Parts: sequence; structure tokens; C-alpha cells
Amino acid sequence: MNRVTEMELMRLLHGELPSDRASALRARLEREPELAAALARLRATWDGLELPPAAPVPLGFAVRVAARAREEKGRAISWATAPAWVRGAAAAALALGILLGAGAGRWTTGEPVPAEPPVAAQAQEEPASVATADDFASSLLDDSLAGSYWAALDETAESGLTEDTPASTGGGGDAL
Amino acid sequence: MGTQTFGQPATADPGWALLARVAAGETDAFTVLVDIHQERLLRLCERLLGDAEEARDAAQDVFLKAFRKAAELRPQGQVYTWLYRIAVNHCLNKLRRRRLVRFLRFSDPADEEDGGVSFDPPDRGADPAATLEARRRWQATRKAIEKLPAGQRAVLVLARFEGLSYRQIAEVLGITEGAVESRLFRAMRRVEGAQEMNASRVPRKEGLR
Repeated sequence: MNRVTEMELMRLLHGELPSDRASALRARLEREPELAAALARLRATWDGLELPPAAPVPLGFAVRVAARAREEKGRAISWATAPAWVRGAAAAALALGILLGAGAGRWTTGEPVPAEPPVAAQAQEEPASVATADDFASSLLDDSLAGSYWAALDETAESGLTEDTPASTGGGGDAL
Repeated sequence: MGTQTFGQPATADPGWALLARVAAGETDAFTVLVDIHQERLLRLCERLLGDAEEARDAAQDVFLKAFRKAAELRPQGQVYTWLYRIAVNHCLNKLRRRRLVRFLRFSDPADEEDGGVSFDPPDRGADPAATLEARRRWQATRKAIEKLPAGQRAVLVLARFEGLSYRQIAEVLGITEGAVESRLFRAMRRVEGAQEMNASRVPRKEGLR
């Protein structure tokens, strides 16, 4: 059985096959036991997918979320309505912090940082701080390039099976 | 499939008027919006993430994102489509993060019991054997879904557990109906393989007892 026929069977199972094609396929199903067996297998796979009922909505969920939104809105308003000198001072403090942070290494050792450390020294060097796997994952995923990478990876994984998009996109047909 | 509980035309969707009020800063309108969609979104997040607690956090994040973006929206399509899209993207991002953390810890999801997800199934009544059997089926399904690539997982969950049609799924994910069909087909093949493997394991385990 080819892939197109299997996809037609899946559409029939999901009620997504237009009625004329559904009738034709049903006629074939009566004549071809192999096709009927394939449909039965698909149905068993589909029906075999079961999950427990979802947890009930937590009490007061909507009110809590709205309170968070109100909080966020309040913060945004207080920042937007702050006097210009307050915002300017905050920006200057941030810039100064960054500059100080960048220069801290040199100030603490009192020695100029060598342009390129020797290879042996590089091998023995310990990392300044050990980030957790979660931190690293977050930093990678926050990068839009990494996002594209994962999207591409998913697509590659998905195309592990034969890639073949059918031309037909009928809808709203009969379910079996 | 075909359970189209919210397939109204865009003009008839009162959600847009509500969103306009949210965009104008009415937090009461936002409470109403959350109230309308919370059950669906919580369920979707739980189906995608496999964990009720994580789903609550995710759903809250989704609603807050919607709150921040409300002003940028133009009434087009259905409000639920937009919310579902935010939810699916958010949950898939969380799943990728989880997968990356596992990779960095050199752990195999297959080594973790129940695929790293704990279930707390509700009491179904008096028959403990039936409860156990249901629990086994749920765990098998969860494991099979967890092994799917993100795109296939989203399509399968939206189709099987949310009852969306191919067209609705295509709208939510921003892909063509053909791509939905193709992803669903590949997901079904993988799930079928996983179910067969699971079925062949069960008698062997029982035989050892």
C-alpha cells in the first residue's frame, strides 16, 4: 500500500475526507481486505492514545493572573511616568555598572591581561564560575539563532520518514 | 475529530471586543478573557507538557503575554487561534529547553521512569485493576508523545486531544493543511511503532513474575 492511500485512510478516520472520495474509499475497503486491515490498524493506534482527564482549573486562577497583569501594568506606568532625570540617572548608573564590571578583572590583579595565554595555561585554566545546565540551556534558547537551530532540528527529525505532502487538502467530509 | 466547539466567523467572535478593552487597559476585561479561555489553555498546556503544575505556570505566562500583546493585535481570525498559537509556541519552547537540559546532563529520557513525568490519575472507582490498566495506557501514551519531534507532537495533541480539525490546526500553527496531514501521518507511524514495542514488552515482564 502506498503512502497516499494510507493518508487517505487517515483522513477518512478523522472525518477529513470529502464525501465523494470517502464513498470511493469505502467501496474499496469492502473489496480489499488488506486496505480494511490497514484502516483497523490506524484506528487501533488512534484509539490507543489515551491520557488522564486534565486537572481541574485551580480556584481563583483568573483572578490571580489578572492580579499579575495589574502588577505589571503598574510597574510599566510608574516607569513611564517617572521624571526624565530619574530615567536618565538610572541609565547612567547601568552604563557605569557595565564599565566597572568589564574593568574589574584588570583592577583586581593589577596586571595587564596577556593578549593570548600560553596553550598549557589554557589547558589548566579552571572556569571562573560553573553555570548549571539550566542556565546554559536558557542562554542558548534565548538566542534567536539557537531557536532557528532547534526548529531546523525538529524539521530534520520529522523528515526522518518519507517527506511527501499531498496536493489534496479536502476537509469537512464524512467520518467513518 | 471534528469537535469544533469554537469555529465561529471572526466577526461573530466577541473575544475581539474584549481584547480591545484589555488593550485599553481594562484589567477586568482581562479577567473575563482568562475566565473564558483558562480551561482550554490549561488543558492544552498539560497535554503538551505532561505536567499539571508546569502547565499552570505556562498558562499564566501565556495569558500575560496575551495581555502585553493585546494592543498590537488586529482582529483577524479567531481569538482562540491566537491564544492557542502563543500557548503552543510557549510550551514547545519549554520542551526544547527541557530536552537541552537533559542532553547537557547526559541523561536519556528513556532511563527516567514514566519518561520523566509523574502522573497522578484520579480515582476511577472501586476496580484497582482497571485503574492500573488505565494508568499503564496513559503512561504509554505520554512516553510515545514525548518521543515525537515538537512539530509532530503539537499536531497530534491538537488533533487527538483538543479535537481540532486539520484546518484549525493549520491556523493555529501557521502551516498548510497538507503539512498538518503530513506531520500527523508521521506522528501516527511513530506512535504505532512505540505501541507495538510496548505491547511486545508487557508479556515478557509478566512472564518473569
